[in-house]
Amino acid sequence: MRRMLLLGWLIALCAGAAVGAEPPGDSLYQLEIALQSSDGTSVALSELRGRPLLVTLFYSQCSSVCPMITARLQSIESQITARNRHNVTILMISLDPGRDTPQVLASFRHEHHIEASNWIVARAAAGEVRALAAVLGVRYRELPDHSFNHSAVIALIDRDGVIKARADGVLGADAAFVRQVQSIAASH
Amino acid sequence: MRLLLPALLAQLALLTGTCAGEERVAIGPVDFEPVLAPAPGKNRVHVPAFRLDRSPVTNGQFLEFIQSHPQWRRDRVASLFADGEYLSHWAAADRLGDQALPQQPVTRVSWFAARAYCSAAGGRLPDWYEWEWAAAADEKLTDARSSPAWRTRILDWYARPAGEPLPAVNGGAANVYGIYDLQGLIWEWVEDFGSLMVSGDSRTQGDPDKLAFCGAGALSAQDRENYPVLMRIAYLSALQARSTGHVLGFRCAAQPQEIAP
Repeated sequence: MRRMLLLGWLIALCAGAAVGAEPPGDSLYQLEIALQSSDGTSVALSELRGRPLLVTLFYSQCSSVCPMITARLQSIESQITARNRHNVTILMISLDPGRDTPQVLASFRHEHHIEASNWIVARAAAGEVRALAAVLGVRYRELPDHSFNHSAVIALIDRDGVIKARADGVLGADAAFVRQVQSIAASH
Repeated sequence: MRLLLPALLAQLALLTGTCAGEERVAIGPVDFEPVLAPAPGKNRVHVPAFRLDRSPVTNGQFLEFIQSHPQWRRDRVASLFADGEYLSHWAAADRLGDQALPQQPVTRVSWFAARAYCSAAGGRLPDWYEWEWAAAADEKLTDARSSPAWRTRILDWYARPAGEPLPAVNGGAANVYGIYDLQGLIWEWVEDFGSLMVSGDSRTQGDPDKLAFCGAGALSAQDRENYPVLMRIAYLSALQARSTGHVLGFRCAAQPQEIAP
């Protein structure tokens, strides 16, 4: 009898693992997006599964809103307790893959003092960025001078890729948002 | 092998359906004044040459697509990609039934599903400016937008009660390019539906009052008399990528160099 219970527990465990293998239907990781990082390496978005994620869209030539988004991300990160901080991946994806080459993105990291390895600054194919923007609710438009107008959104994604919170705009108090990041980073 | 054959046949049917009967028409390159100005002080846009399907995608074609791409069946699609009404008028996940005849345009499809179909058919969704220019034509002119008859016809369609069964595709007259149903049958997805109401003026960025849809659209609309086009822009802008609608379908476009041999 004990052996049967053990068997049942093992089957349940395996079934749980199998469910875990397929992301939930509303998971960001349903998207097939190949990220090319500022160091030139490639990583599939779905490989980021397993850790909480803060994600935003930006472009490096942006002189008005984007530096504020970067500063806001840094501010949010600084408010996360040190114990949880290394659990959170921070992902900035370019809206301008044609100009934001890995070299340009590396310069962007340098200019904004982004050194920690849990920050990924990357680009992806234009069509894939559009799909990601659609899921995140980011609206953007390329202007004739190749600048972009875009809504500033920082999304908090849980370990399975489900959007848990959004911080819209570049200003405003982050306390509630940070609490949500903390709670997701501390779970498990 | 037995399992593969139906999928291969469906793929073949999809390809022949796209290349032969429903071929794409070459349009452009063109410079024109869209209803929404691309940027402050800039009224014209350049649209490189492209090709556009003569007809909207039908239920029959979409059924073939989901047979070879079962991840887009309504009972298997990820909720990230389609809302609960996706293909809900079909009799079953793999059967059309009385409410979805093979020659009716497929509707209740999300932007993600429309994109996947076009990609499988060797194309993509048209951009808004491509669609707007193609739809500016009537039977005789490539740009009939100032014609009262052109506007009236579209407004008459908007006034028709929703909920009526949709006619089959290609029922009316083709426009000057030989394209059917750009007006008067369905709303159609475009690749950049989410960008249309983003203001072209970067000075409004960050100003919540001016980031409201209507405010931003009104700011950059240069042809405020063109209600038919503005209504379509407003409709598309209110959608989410997983939205579906009773009269919301699509057709595909492609680059000129993608022409099949």
